[in-house]
Amino acid sequence: MRLGTVRFSEAVLKEVEALFARYPVKVNALLPLLHMAQRENGGWLQPGWDSYIAELCGTTLNHVRGVITFYNMYRTSAPGKYHIMVCTCLPCGLCGGAEVMEHLEKRLGIHAGETTGDGMFSLEEVQCLAACDQAPLMVVNEDMQKRITLEQIDRWVEDTRAKKA
Amino acid sequence: MAEEKLLLLKNIRQQGYGGDYASYKKTGGGAAFKKALTGMTPAEVIETVKESGLRGRGGAGFPCGVKWSFMPKDLPGPDQKPHYLVCNADEAEPGTLKDHVLMLGDPHMFIEGMMIGCYAMRSTHGYIYIRGESPHAIRRVQAAIDELYKAKLLGKNILGSGVQLDLTVHPGAGAYICGEETAMLDSLEGKRGLPRSKPPFPAQSGFNACPTTVNNVETLANIPFILTEGPKAFAAFGSENNTGTQAVSISGHVEKPGVYEMDMGHNLKSILEDFAGGVRGGKKLKALIPGGASAPVMRADEIDVPYDFDSLMKAGTMRGSAAIMVFDEDTDMVEVANRTIRFFNHESCGQCTPCREGTFWIKNMIRQFGDDAGDEALLSLVHRAAGNIIGTTICAFGDAVGGALQGFVQKFPEDFRNHFQS
Ligand SMILES: Cc1cc2nc3c(=O)[nH]c(=O)nc-3n(C[C@H](O)[C@H](O)[C@H](O)COP(=O)(O)O)c2cc1C
Ligand code: SF4
Ligand code: FES
Repeated sequence: MRLGTVRFSEAVLKEVEALFARYPVKVNALLPLLHMAQRENGGWLQPGWDSYIAELCGTTLNHVRGVITFYNMYRTSAPGKYHIMVCTCLPCGLCGGAEVMEHLEKRLGIHAGETTGDGMFSLEEVQCLAACDQAPLMVVNEDMQKRITLEQIDRWVEDTRAKKA
Repeated sequence: MAEEKLLLLKNIRQQGYGGDYASYKKTGGGAAFKKALTGMTPAEVIETVKESGLRGRGGAGFPCGVKWSFMPKDLPGPDQKPHYLVCNADEAEPGTLKDHVLMLGDPHMFIEGMMIGCYAMRSTHGYIYIRGESPHAIRRVQAAIDELYKAKLLGKNILGSGVQLDLTVHPGAGAYICGEETAMLDSLEGKRGLPRSKPPFPAQSGFNACPTTVNNVETLANIPFILTEGPKAFAAFGSENNTGTQAVSISGHVEKPGVYEMDMGHNLKSILEDFAGGVRGGKKLKALIPGGASAPVMRADEIDVPYDFDSLMKAGTMRGSAAIMVFDEDTDMVEVANRTIRFFNHESCGQCTPCREGTFWIKNMIRQFGDDAGDEALLSLVHRAAGNIIGTTICAFGDAVGGALQGFVQKFPEDFRNHFQS
């Protein structure tokens, strides 16, 4: 463990101070703080950040780890450059979501929860995203692609791979 | 398409409506907050909301004014605890998307409702809890709040009244259970989102153990209308004991999925046919779930009922968050049950044994039907295991799982029998 070796930049620390000012006690800001740490570090909580965050808001490492593991959005391993979320919940799952998931798994050669060997794509199966009227959908990083077809997915994967080459 | 009754979506339905504060003001927005702050006492505001009959739109349908009146009446002074209003913008109940439509299309309407609520309950700081998976909604609502600070409608000494009010957007991090109000408060405190045993109720001990009220986005969006037009004008919409309009989400196998606004008590069959354009591709209806994944399923022949809290309760199901999920004649209800139980098993917080174990084992049983390995004994076991979760847990999640799963078995046993081992 690399305790004490990570920290926010001075600019981000100013943001942290502003965040703390909006809560009665610092630890209340734990969720937004963890989001900030992910945002600043390639979309995941790299080693050492849990204890740094614990120290920043005055709580224990165990508390922070409990929170990180409880919520779906905190990651303890690196996501792909393109993190893909597919909703397979009800009703999306019955309106093409399941097929989209299956297709992506085959196309990328990984299962949900995994990252391709080249670090380009990671795939996540998610529950209802409050956009069920747009089923089937996939979210790439923050961009929601609505009523997507399998052909569009193929084209997107090809284009994205070509961009890298 | 049937005519919408527009109260919540009246601005959103205007072509080119921007949703920024200047546009909102042009439609008369902001007048309700001003009226409350400069011409009404907090008690008068609460009384007005009570008179309107407005019931919470988050799921349970509890009367909003009554809930507000549970908050301590004394002004939070130096030795008293601060009061809080938390807006529930978590919207994670499968099939529900109306709060997102309201937040993205006209954020100032529900925020104004929230500001009025804060004034009525003497809260000087409100938190808007938005699910973390919706960065677009978080940015939109934050931008609206920034506008209000700039216009000096938030901050210290608002409109020279001496009233102080701050609003903060709090992002969730992906956990359905944080939509349950006490789990939401734990999450807001920086903890894992675990529902609390009640009592004490949030009005006595909520956020950081201070008096707190939690209200849904749509509930709050109704408040400006109630104040400017009066409680009677509001109660003129809807039916008795189910007043006002409602923003209903429709998804699944329909021609025109989306959010539609209509009177409370509008006929459910008409919502499907006249608003959502009927079942997709000219197919026949097999079933629908009327109130999010937590509501027991209805067969096609059961949907000729008024769509409101009381009527659906009488029909043995619930209106919940007003999310109608439609399934056509080709749908296998075992697959619907499968998606439902997978969702609940994934989202159970794990505190209560019946919910934690029950969702796990029922998921495995349903999977056996998926593998064509079911039998009559397993079918009744699903029903019994689901029943064992009802009434034995800390929060209403357990009742929801039990009721929803029993519904599939009771209403569509033939679908399960198709998956018996031969
Ligand atoms: C498991 C569970 C999930 C819930 N999810 C939500 C939700 O996403 N949004 C919401 O407004 N209410 C949700 N509720 C209801 C809240 O607990 C609470 O009743 C509601 O926010 C109160 O607001 P209202 O009185 O304005 O309806 C949920 C309840 C349970 C038991
Ligand atoms: S019923 Fe389920 S979700 Fe609710 S507190 Fe118990 S374990 Fe958690
Ligand atoms: S079920 Fe996929 S967004 Fe709602």
